[in-house]
Amino acid sequence: MIKLKNVTKEFNLGEQVITPVLDVNLKVGQGEFVIIIGRSGTGKSTMLNLVAGLIRPTAGSVLVEDRDLAALSDKEMSRLRSREMGYVFQFPSLLPSLTILDNIIMPATFTGDKGGKDLAKRAAELLGMLGLGERLEYYPRHLSAGEQKRAVIARSLMNEPRILLADEPTSDLDEQTEKEIMGLLKQIHNGGVTILMVTHSIALVPYATRAYSMDKGKLSLTHQK
Amino acid sequence: MSLLRLALNNIRGNAFRSSVVFLCVLGVASFLLGTTLVISGAQNSLNVGIQRLGADILVVPEGAQTEVQTALLMGKPTNVWMPASKIDEIAAVPGVQAVSPQIYLQSLYGAPCCSVSEMFLVVYDPATDFTVKPWLDKELGRPLARGEVIGGSYIFVPAGEKYITLYGYNTTLAGNLGATGTGIDQTLFMTQETARAMAQSSLTTAVTPLVIPPGEISEVMVKIMPGADRHRVALDILLKVLGVVPLESPNMFGQFRHQMTGLLWGFVTIMVVFWVLSAVLIGLVFSMAANERRREIAVLRALGATRFYVFRSILAEAVILALGGALLGVILSSFVIYLFRGYITSSLGMPFLFPGWASFLGLVATGTAFILLTVILAVLLPAFRVSRMEPAIAARE
Repeated sequence: MIKLKNVTKEFNLGEQVITPVLDVNLKVGQGEFVIIIGRSGTGKSTMLNLVAGLIRPTAGSVLVEDRDLAALSDKEMSRLRSREMGYVFQFPSLLPSLTILDNIIMPATFTGDKGGKDLAKRAAELLGMLGLGERLEYYPRHLSAGEQKRAVIARSLMNEPRILLADEPTSDLDEQTEKEIMGLLKQIHNGGVTILMVTHSIALVPYATRAYSMDKGKLSLTHQK
Repeated sequence: MSLLRLALNNIRGNAFRSSVVFLCVLGVASFLLGTTLVISGAQNSLNVGIQRLGADILVVPEGAQTEVQTALLMGKPTNVWMPASKIDEIAAVPGVQAVSPQIYLQSLYGAPCCSVSEMFLVVYDPATDFTVKPWLDKELGRPLARGEVIGGSYIFVPAGEKYITLYGYNTTLAGNLGATGTGIDQTLFMTQETARAMAQSSLTTAVTPLVIPPGEISEVMVKIMPGADRHRVALDILLKVLGVVPLESPNMFGQFRHQMTGLLWGFVTIMVVFWVLSAVLIGLVFSMAANERRREIAVLRALGATRFYVFRSILAEAVILALGGALLGVILSSFVIYLFRGYITSSLGMPFLFPGWASFLGLVATGTAFILLTVILAVLLPAFRVSRMEPAIAARE
């Protein structure tokens, strides 16, 4: 489902070159829940962005559903992202000018789905499932950090993706909310969605079917169920 | 969600940026349409006015050229005289087909009949006239009777009255000429017979009697023969008839045209400066907005938006703001110019005739298209740059 073959990513910062991802090989199969742990700045998010095709590798190749991302045009890459992947950003990523309902519907725009009322119904159901059924017409600024995270997860599920990429989905959340969010992700995983998640929290490893630690751009297996 | 709805939500969600762009566009649109309206209104007025004069050449006493042109253009009353014997001399010039004299009477100030402070009285000769007659034939179907007058578009019978009383003499307004925006709009035309009756009556009924110097006229309207060279005929009149100056109708109001050209260039200069500054400001505002919204744009890309979608969404916001601002700008400036046209034209010293609907809509459409193009050009670069950014980098920054 997801394959990284000798992937390296370098960033050129003037005279300095940094390499957050160095010769990484990884395979994530259908229905797996893979967590990558590591401290800040170890290249976890960069690796996730490589898988999402949000950046291109300096060397090596990234394959999603057996398609080499480097060979895809912008349109093809966008279609793959909208139909096959859900993405949960580390930072608050709801669009501030849209209501929560419109935020959730947004990804459907890019699949060309003109479901209209059906889309709104599905978005409302998703929000209901995640305990935000009463917040449909709220704007992001009216929600707590935990509620925003849940809304983002709902948005990532709108197009029923086969892969969910989550970048620190529990950062800045209290313990209780962290548990809630991880419970949700587990539920989503049990529904058949492949999850690749990065986090700095070792405590979340037990949720994964497989876990790696990342340091200086390299991956090493730390847990397997 | 449609692109339009997303753009509208973004506009609503960024009140400050939207207001700056909207106000810039509104300012440019108002100024653009306002100046174009004033200049084209003056040009329009001039053309209609010259057409209404109906003569190929106007012959006026030597030294009275400016006074006569000012009278015709702005309705500023004047009294100029030359001997009536000049009529035959002018008629004898080769290429002249018809001549008809006109007399400018002492004008009235603050007359209750008119929506202007000064009224210009012109006497024509029905026997030879070829300038007023075509209108009379078409609109009235008969010549003016004794005691009847026709007026420019600003002339009216005072409320509750049956007549326009001039020098204590009652005249009947037989009709009004169409608006020209020139002095003709505040002119009252009458026959010599009516003028003489008025002068006679004024001796007993008016505070200041009306005096028409016998054997004197103010100007001679000249119609040239078909195929004759107007300039040649005018030159011959100048050479053969002493004490007069011929004014060729297309070349009339030269001083005014010169003044208008100066004004036009002034407006154009201000316009260009204003336009460039606004385009730069709009570009900067959108650049700043695009920078501020890098994360939002990264999110859109992660959700599956193509680069082209991002580009179009920024452009859509700009187009909506441009259309809104331009539309409000043209409505406001049209409204202000329509309401204050009298004040504007008198302070600028130029005639003005509001253009017809077709020309007006043409101006509005051209102006709006121009503004739209300006805004699109100003936004093109920031929209392109932000749409080409790698989303993950944009999100991190």
